[in-house]
Amino acid sequence: MSDGRLRGIVARLRLFGRHLRGVATRTARIARWEVSRSVGTVDRKTALVLVVMALAISTTGFTAAGDGLGLEREIYVVGVDEDSRYHDVAVDSEQFRPVSLSEIEAESGGDANADSVTIRGDASVDVVVTRDGRIGHTGDNGEAAYDTFRGAVEEYNAKLMDAEDDQSAAYPVLVSLEYQQRDLAGSSESGANDGGETDGSETGTEDGTGGGGDGAGGGADRSGGDEPATGGGTDGTGGGDGPLQVPNVGDGSTASTAPGTPGSIAPPFPFQSLVLAFLFVVPMNFVIQAYGSTIMDERVKRRGELLLVSPVSRYEIVAGKTLPYLLGLIGIVVAITIAIRGGPIAVAAALPIALLFLAATFAGAMLARSFKELTFVTVTISVVLTTYTFIPAIFTDVHSIALISPLTLVVTDLQDGSIRLGEYLFSTGPFYLCAAVLFLLGIGVYREEDMFAQKPIPTKVVDAIASRIRGRRSVFVLSILFIPFVFAGQLLAVALLFALPESFAVPVIIVVAAALEEVAKSVHVYAGFARSRFDATLRTAAVLGALSGTGFFVGEKVTHVVQFVGLPDLSVGAAAFGPAVSSDPLILVAVFLAPLALHVATAVCSAVGASRGRTGYAAGFLAATLVHAAYNLGVILLVA
Amino acid sequence: MAILEVHDLRKEYGGFTAVEGSSFEIERGEVFGVVGPNGAGKTTTLKMLAGLIEPTGGTAVVAGHTPGEPAMQRRLGFLPEESPLYEEMTAIDYLEFFADLYDVPADVARERIHDSLERLDLEHRDRRIGNMSKGMQRKVAIARALVNDPDVLIFDEPASGLDPLTTNYIIEFTRELSEDGKTIVFSAHNLFHVESICDRIVIMNDGRIVARGTLEEIRDAHGGTEYHVYATDDGSAGLDGTAGPLEVTRENGQVRHVVADMAAVDAVRDAVEAAGGRVTDIQTETPSLEEIFLEVASEPAEESEA
Amino acid sequence: MLALAIQLFIAAFSSFLVVGLVSLYDPGSVDGYQTDVAVTGDDTLLSVANQRDGVSAQRYDDRAAAYEAFETGAVSAVLDANRNDDGRLSVRVTAPEEGLQTTLLVVQLRDTLEHVERVERQQNAASGRLEQSPVPVPSEVQASPYAGFTYTILLPLLCFLPVFISGSIVVDSLIEERQRGTLELLRVAPLSLADVIDAKLLAIAALAPLQAIAWLFLLTANGTSIAGPAALVVLVAALSLLVVSVGVAIALWAPDRRQSQLLYSVATVGALVVATILPEHPANTVAKFAIGNPTGTTWALLAGYCLLAIGAFVALRRWLGRLEPDSL
Repeated sequence: MSDGRLRGIVARLRLFGRHLRGVATRTARIARWEVSRSVGTVDRKTALVLVVMALAISTTGFTAAGDGLGLEREIYVVGVDEDSRYHDVAVDSEQFRPVSLSEIEAESGGDANADSVTIRGDASVDVVVTRDGRIGHTGDNGEAAYDTFRGAVEEYNAKLMDAEDDQSAAYPVLVSLEYQQRDLAGSSESGANDGGETDGSETGTEDGTGGGGDGAGGGADRSGGDEPATGGGTDGTGGGDGPLQVPNVGDGSTASTAPGTPGSIAPPFPFQSLVLAFLFVVPMNFVIQAYGSTIMDERVKRRGELLLVSPVSRYEIVAGKTLPYLLGLIGIVVAITIAIRGGPIAVAAALPIALLFLAATFAGAMLARSFKELTFVTVTISVVLTTYTFIPAIFTDVHSIALISPLTLVVTDLQDGSIRLGEYLFSTGPFYLCAAVLFLLGIGVYREEDMFAQKPIPTKVVDAIASRIRGRRSVFVLSILFIPFVFAGQLLAVALLFALPESFAVPVIIVVAAALEEVAKSVHVYAGFARSRFDATLRTAAVLGALSGTGFFVGEKVTHVVQFVGLPDLSVGAAAFGPAVSSDPLILVAVFLAPLALHVATAVCSAVGASRGRTGYAAGFLAATLVHAAYNLGVILLVA
Repeated sequence: MAILEVHDLRKEYGGFTAVEGSSFEIERGEVFGVVGPNGAGKTTTLKMLAGLIEPTGGTAVVAGHTPGEPAMQRRLGFLPEESPLYEEMTAIDYLEFFADLYDVPADVARERIHDSLERLDLEHRDRRIGNMSKGMQRKVAIARALVNDPDVLIFDEPASGLDPLTTNYIIEFTRELSEDGKTIVFSAHNLFHVESICDRIVIMNDGRIVARGTLEEIRDAHGGTEYHVYATDDGSAGLDGTAGPLEVTRENGQVRHVVADMAAVDAVRDAVEAAGGRVTDIQTETPSLEEIFLEVASEPAEESEA
Repeated sequence: MLALAIQLFIAAFSSFLVVGLVSLYDPGSVDGYQTDVAVTGDDTLLSVANQRDGVSAQRYDDRAAAYEAFETGAVSAVLDANRNDDGRLSVRVTAPEEGLQTTLLVVQLRDTLEHVERVERQQNAASGRLEQSPVPVPSEVQASPYAGFTYTILLPLLCFLPVFISGSIVVDSLIEERQRGTLELLRVAPLSLADVIDAKLLAIAALAPLQAIAWLFLLTANGTSIAGPAALVVLVAALSLLVVSVGVAIALWAPDRRQSQLLYSVATVGALVVATILPEHPANTVAKFAIGNPTGTTWALLAGYCLLAIGAFVALRRWLGRLEPDSL
């Protein structure tokens, strides 16, 4: 008997194996076809022209590479006499064009004055070196020019000193920099408790908002400079930073640089790594153009219909069409990584970015009606995703918020920093999830009924979502699936409002965060009603709203747990469960359940609206957002 | 046993019903015609059979499988109304690619493609599809539908928009395929073609099947054969009520009585002769499918199996 | 509208990027940031450091006491200076691991130490150890660190982007008409192919300078003075006519959308690269006009672009005149 059962299992396994193999071969076939077809589209004369252009570009590119693009060449004018040493500086520098003082002097201005120069009204000059070597500036851009000139002088000096024989005299100061951890009692505590985390008691995704609070604080500080930091441990960068990521120089608690000249000291700002990391994102912007085109091609003139009628499933078709582009991107990423000496982490971090680029383009190409709309979609994707990945990475060593972008991992990797698995999951998780959800939604409309129809984008979005609704349980699941988008959207809002004054940024972020969450909780409910997946009764609406709200709450808590387990020291993770308000279990339960009540209440509100059609949905959604925003504000005021 | 069974197949788009409770069976080797005006639900029905559109309700079984299952798709050849081809590929590359998708071994595929193209009389196989004429493109599309040697062929308007010569060619080819033992589901606007090759047909209107059967059956049900009895004018005056002709008209000094069966012909003749007239001619008139179609399409739906 | 939205996006994005990058790359531009540091060992550092704003150095004779002050947070950093045998000042800086704070601190210290370096150098030059004395560095001023970026990157971007997008639009719309066969209908229309395409070309080419004017207004409103707006608009108009003419030619010549877009992008990007062999890169030309320091070359190039654009347009017209609508 057991032998028979075993045989049964083996047979089933073998069947499954064959199935998998079938899927793989069919996907590979589509992929191979996609490659050969795309190559085939470029005809001979186009190829020839392209080759000629490439040759021209590369030859001039190489010759130009030596002296740069020359963007700044001679943009400023300095008035200086030829016998002045500053004349050499001006000639040597890229940005300055020297003119002799006599050319710019007013006729009436005395000629022999050594310490002043009267400039003619129509002379264009930004920096003036008087005959006795004093330097002044004039005009709108005088200050900037002067500052640039100062840099030019320093560069010129460095050149002079390099030519000296006695290098120890030329560079008389040697500096070695050493970073050391110090434990200032209470400093991090005080940092963590004032404001940023207040809303953490409510939702984890609003940790982004918390980040925004202190982000904006930091921004305001930097531009306004009204709160000078005073050494010590107390934070000068506005309220509630929480523990900051340490400057990433090696992985030990202390690290030091080799001795060098003062000019060689680099502040812990990853400029170069950042620029290199940007290289990863650039090719993606090009590849998605081609990818969007090929997906769109299947949709115009019903060309994809015959593939759909073949034994190849739509999942295999999409996988096959995507694979060449994904592999191409991975190839490029690996090549770049090798070229800039990154590690495997850099590849692993760039992969989810590539996936999300492709997934968003796929979903966009499934929704667009014409190539023109597709262009808009791809540009939007390019800009949004580049912003989302690149901006946070700027703050790699500055703030843990940087970890929301996988590009931060690349930057860290390029700086030889180490990355823990938890950090990897934290920054790439949302990307993987978003990519998966977008692919699923796109494949949902990759069928005869939807992909060839010329419907407006919003209708198609509703169709795509509705195609994933199978019964009430889907409402619960979709709420959870949308969380990565909410997370990403809120963080993007934070990143974009980072530089604005706090008084403006914080209210906006509160409303935007609330609105995003409400969209995530209600859009699929609306889609369900609009496509008659549900009966438009009050009862159904209430049940769906409750399900959606609960789903969102559960999803949120799950992400909190993940963060908490993965990143116990990250402020975002630590804040998830809120500050330990009280040890009274009753209050704890209340604090825990209050968000649940909120999510359910607002979701029911918009669900009831959704059951009444489009205007009803708009009204319900508005009400839900306002309630949600008011609640957030209340919590912040209450705790602060 | 029927190779294709459809029971109460329905398709709704939002509030609009495209196909409402269609049921029919098709025997192996049959050529089955689906006719009807634009928007009658023909294409939707065929696409549901081809597994392209998921029905809202009802069932369809094609070659023992539900449409959409890979096993069924392997036994199906589908030719959509517009042939959406990949214009940048050559005909031969295109066909070989699809053969590969259907797991046809390369050597078999090559032979089969060669054979189809030969029978379809298609030259310039290495030309890019985009540079081919419409008729050639249609031939490539037909060859593609045959690439997996399917049991069931679904042809949606195979000859629409082509010149008469190519149209005839394709109709003849379809007949040959049916002689090879393929089951063919065929839709067309041009009823002449349906009439010439279909064993059985259904007529659809407004998403419903309004008539079905062999051509004779449909003719019988919808008007059937009529007899035109021509008589001299003088004797027919009081005839209208007695022998019950369907229609009485006067033309060229003669009276034409239209009746439905031979008994009525006799009755009319008797009546005419009794009135002193003379029957000059009797003609049988068989309505074309076209006429039935026009008649049925203008009537409200009379058959509903929902 | 679409094109405008796209550009708005890109412009917002790039200016944001620039501001973000600059403020982080140059964190030293922060005002009023005051640092207390401990100095032990050699005294030279102390006197120089205290001459500077933002840093107040305290003398600790005892090295251990200095590090203790660091540990307790009384000072932000410790500078341990010692003179080598060859007279070099060797400084060991100990800074805390505190993120943004440290970034600011290190920038401050770097400036201070560079100042020390200059002073030391001057002494070395005075004592004859150096053949050439360094040029005195002018004193610091508060200047906007964005100015350079604005004129050399942001403004050229805002001027060229509309041009690029206009060309892209013309390629897209012509290809679409070719695919739909509307151009073939011209055979029976009283208009000639050249007339229709002319109208399209000029309408789209005019978009770019209009947008450039809008951008210039916006920049001026934001406090960036533009010295030669008229020259800039003429430049954009000329480039727009040139690029759109090329776009039309590509769209009518290439077989399909993908290829024409590919050719068009490669051609425009390539042109920007190839332009480096010009005496002035077009971006540099824009910067010079905007700042108000155009040279003879700048004006000559502007005239050259105008001639080139008109030439391209005329050539295109001739070609269109010979082109049969059937061949499309």
